[in-house]
Amino acid sequence: MNTPTVTTPAVRRRQLMVTAIMALIVLVPSLLGFGNKFREFILLFRGDVDGVFAISPIMNYLLAALGFFCLFGWAMLHGMFHDIEEPKRHFLETERELDRRLPNPPIA
Amino acid sequence: MTLSLGRAADSSLEEAGAPQPAHLVDAQLVETRLVAFYFLAALAYLFISMLGGFLMALQLVHINPLRGIELLSPGRWRMVHTNAIAYGFLANAFLGALHWAIPRLTLKPVFNRTLSYLIFVAWQIVVVSTAVGIVLGQAQGLEWGETPVWIDPVALLGLVLVTINFTIPMTQARGPLYVSLWYFMAAFVWTPLTYAMGNFVPEYWVNGTSAGAIGGLFIHDLVGLFVTPLGWGLMYYFVPILLRKPVWSHGLSLVGFWGLAFFYPLTGIHHFLYTPIPMFLQYGAVISTIAVEMVVTTVIVNFFGTLRGSGREIVTNLPIRWFYTGMVFYAITCFQCALQTTMTFQALIHFSDWVVGHAHLVMFGVFSMWLLGIMTYLFPRLLGRDWYSRTLCEWHYWLSAVGLAVMAGDLILVGVFQGFWWGSLQMWDVSVDGSQPFWIVRVIAGVAMFAGLLVFLYNLYMTWRLSTAPAPETARLPAATA
Repeated sequence: MNTPTVTTPAVRRRQLMVTAIMALIVLVPSLLGFGNKFREFILLFRGDVDGVFAISPIMNYLLAALGFFCLFGWAMLHGMFHDIEEPKRHFLETERELDRRLPNPPIA
Repeated sequence: MTLSLGRAADSSLEEAGAPQPAHLVDAQLVETRLVAFYFLAALAYLFISMLGGFLMALQLVHINPLRGIELLSPGRWRMVHTNAIAYGFLANAFLGALHWAIPRLTLKPVFNRTLSYLIFVAWQIVVVSTAVGIVLGQAQGLEWGETPVWIDPVALLGLVLVTINFTIPMTQARGPLYVSLWYFMAAFVWTPLTYAMGNFVPEYWVNGTSAGAIGGLFIHDLVGLFVTPLGWGLMYYFVPILLRKPVWSHGLSLVGFWGLAFFYPLTGIHHFLYTPIPMFLQYGAVISTIAVEMVVTTVIVNFFGTLRGSGREIVTNLPIRWFYTGMVFYAITCFQCALQTTMTFQALIHFSDWVVGHAHLVMFGVFSMWLLGIMTYLFPRLLGRDWYSRTLCEWHYWLSAVGLAVMAGDLILVGVFQGFWWGSLQMWDVSVDGSQPFWIVRVIAGVAMFAGLLVFLYNLYMTWRLSTAPAPETARLPAATA
């Protein structure tokens, strides 16, 4: 059996920083890019009737994104991200407990 | 920590008195027999798919053993090859692995076990009907959506029932959700929607360029919103168990999940660069694809961060080796994706064998490798016996991994040659003749992969035979190492 992983404040700070940096790298350029292209779409939609056919993939995306935005809000309100690292430890403990209940536990 | 598997399950454990076989204890939560059925069905379809691929590869080197039989013409075999891998192998193997993982993650059995068996039978009917429909010439004109129109409603109903059967226990799980459950939940919503979009919208509501755009979204969303979330969700489940330590950063894993949720749905149009689809949509697809590459980077960093300090497991732990080989291939395919979506590079490789190599790298090199690794880990637990031969397991891995690496590398290389031949306005025959040596190498690599599967099937058969014999006193379940 392995010893439980100890997460020190320094490690937690580092993990938080990596998470925040990666989130920014992903979010900022993507939101800028998408926002700009969406503005172009609106301009085209207003000025060219042929541009209407492009609405189906856009609506498809917006509906999917809206659904996930709602889910994200629900998850935040229900404390899903309160202790963001806890689920990984809880899940492994559960697995170990399930295996301990076996008459012949898997060979470690 | 004390767990309850439910009153019936707990009391049956206590009343048992004498130790029960391990696979029966697993069955308190997990319908182990159904997991095995799904895996066996998946392997049967993998055999058919590889056979179809082999026949297609022979056709390209001027050998067609089925010449003159219209029903088995190469064009139809090719569709059987791609559909059998998607809906036969991947879907069945995923469903089997989910029947194992979700009850153990939520500590709740699936919503209804009878429904699980019904779905299993219905899904096999869907897959076989699809193959028969394709062979009889009833394919829909949409890549990976060739399922005949009369089977589409049944397939969609099956996917909705899968969603109900798995989502109910997931909603009953207590506390913050582990990242695997986020991925699974998203996949159960995305997959029926994607299937409906691809199979019904172009068929009944839109046509022309708009249908082309929907087709592009469909084919890529099948990869990104069906296969990818299930694959990553299962990796986040199995890798920590096999390495016996938690994933490096759960927070980073959630960045990956939410990034996929928000950026993936628009990427599919990158399949239609240089088409009449408005340029802002094409550029939007390029940008969201690059955003997805960033998301992928977070996932790769997280898994290799988890492996840090346990590198030796790659050598000693066979399922882990399958998983991490798949992750290396995943990183390569995503790097390819970033190149492919640039307009300059797309002009070179469009319609060429580069794309075929890329598709094999994704479907076999990544997701099939992960699923075969999961099977390598779970079959001994399902059968209550260790593998008949560890050496044969090694052969399966090496034949598959090397065969795939050679095949993908070969096709990617010839794709570049083809792009330059066509770009320099050479005669079509020049590109076909020039491709011959590469296509011969592809046959050899495919034979190696096929041989790997046959070795695995033989090993599985012998293991099953041993499992039906009386167990010796010292028999133990295999642990995290296969």
